Amino acid sequence: MNCKEWQEELALYLYGDLPADRRAAVDSHLASCGQCRETLEEGRRLHQLLAARPLREPSPELLYECRHALGEALDHDDLGWRGLLRGWSSMLRFAPASGAVAAVALVVTGFCMGWALRPRTGMVAPLVVPAAGTASVSEPDLQNMRINGISRVAPDPKTGEVRITLDAERRMTLEGSLDDPRIQQVLLYAVRNYNNPGIRRDTLDALRTRPDNPNVRGALLYALRHDPNAGMRLEALNAVRGLDWGPDLRQALLDALEHDTNPGVRISAIDLLSQHADAEVLPAFERLAASDADRSVQLRCARAIRELAKGDF
Amino acid sequence: MTDGACLELAGKVPKEGTRVVAEEEMLVRRAQRGDRVAFDALVRLHDQKILRLVMQIVRTPELAKDLYQEAFLKAYRALGNFRFESSFSTWLHRVATNVCLDYLRRQGNREEISTKPGEDGEVELLDTVAEGRPDLNPEHALRAREIGRRIEAALQGLTPRERVVFELRHYQGLRLRAIGELCGTTEETAKNCLFRATQKLRTALEDLAHARKRE
Repeated sequence: MNCKEWQEELALYLYGDLPADRRAAVDSHLASCGQCRETLEEGRRLHQLLAARPLREPSPELLYECRHALGEALDHDDLGWRGLLRGWSSMLRFAPASGAVAAVALVVTGFCMGWALRPRTGMVAPLVVPAAGTASVSEPDLQNMRINGISRVAPDPKTGEVRITLDAERRMTLEGSLDDPRIQQVLLYAVRNYNNPGIRRDTLDALRTRPDNPNVRGALLYALRHDPNAGMRLEALNAVRGLDWGPDLRQALLDALEHDTNPGVRISAIDLLSQHADAEVLPAFERLAASDADRSVQLRCARAIRELAKGDF
Repeated sequence: MTDGACLELAGKVPKEGTRVVAEEEMLVRRAQRGDRVAFDALVRLHDQKILRLVMQIVRTPELAKDLYQEAFLKAYRALGNFRFESSFSTWLHRVATNVCLDYLRRQGNREEISTKPGEDGEVELLDTVAEGRPDLNPEHALRAREIGRRIEAALQGLTPRERVVFELRHYQGLRLRAIGELCGTTEETAKNCLFRATQKLRTALEDLAHARKRE
């Protein structure tokens, strides 16, 4: 080996990455080669120099921020088309004999849908019911109707109008102001009962523009407490920020603080409660600061307590 | 990667290895079935190490936050493809390493990064160094800043792969075999990368190393 070839060994020698036999060979060569000894010294000086660049330890605050932002991004991901695909793919992966079963299920589903949607004599086309016009579907009608599905809720923030496509006895589209009782009725139904989180999110978006309506208030608090999807509960928590402060809102936030399984929801509840904190909130904060399973929640509560003590609220 | 190496990456002590691996496997299987709580638990098991890794590469908290999120979102989306052929920790670190490599490649495609004082993260780093040593007089503090800036500039002169291999070996202390697995290459290639990186750094920082010799 010439000195150039020994240099590769010297780089590993400095890191202690050479096996014993090769290390001994390097030692033996160094004893007789001044040039390689100088190279080794240069390497050592480089290592000393590089030690001036220390490891950057992330702060607990940065870790907390990262976790919080990731939680929100994952919630958003769950609500989108990726979440839908993931749900399907995980079902297929874990179902027994998944390939064959899935193929048969798709064929049967396709046949059933084709049968259900076949053209029939006298069938009424999708109905648009303008709220302002003569309503062919009255409020009592809607109350007696069994809603099978909601395909779309499209609020228009400029006009305050909302367009809802739903399947009851027949497919229909309701269109009108959020102040229209029929529109509200469907939205309140959707936020409590509908199983598609995307529809529930659109519904919340529509409802949050009417924070003064007692029914809307109730629906938002219901979603905060009971929606099965953590992302939706976070959406609901953002929506209730627009409500007037009151005991029912305070209790819903305390319930979220104590019982919600998602740390992101608990942290958002702490933030909102902190803005209206009083001495009665303090015990809940102290309990979570001491015993919450999530370190970020503990830290956030501890900070809220410190700020409460300083009278910064 | 051997179990020992996996545990080394995961930061688990070997005694508890079997139990930890079994619990982690259970969490991964639940997460693959769409259980977010299980995925959150996996995040909390590994995210400090991942954040430390990306922080070392990008040096600024804001960028580290972005890469952290990108790494875990990619892991979340690709979790269905994880087949338990390596430990989850190794797989996750591989995802994060690839995110870092992609970031460095994107940086390489942009204009040369400024290393002037006050324009990026390494100056903040050297301020920290200076603050941490109250005995440092202003002249020495200035000198320390200059050295730090030169080191950052020299590191930016490495190719993305050389940079990542060097960071993982020199600053994170991983073995070359583990680095090879994280970078999707062999131990031999990782060794060559480390050698090339060291040579480049030695050339770029030669004058500083000689000055240190004279001191």
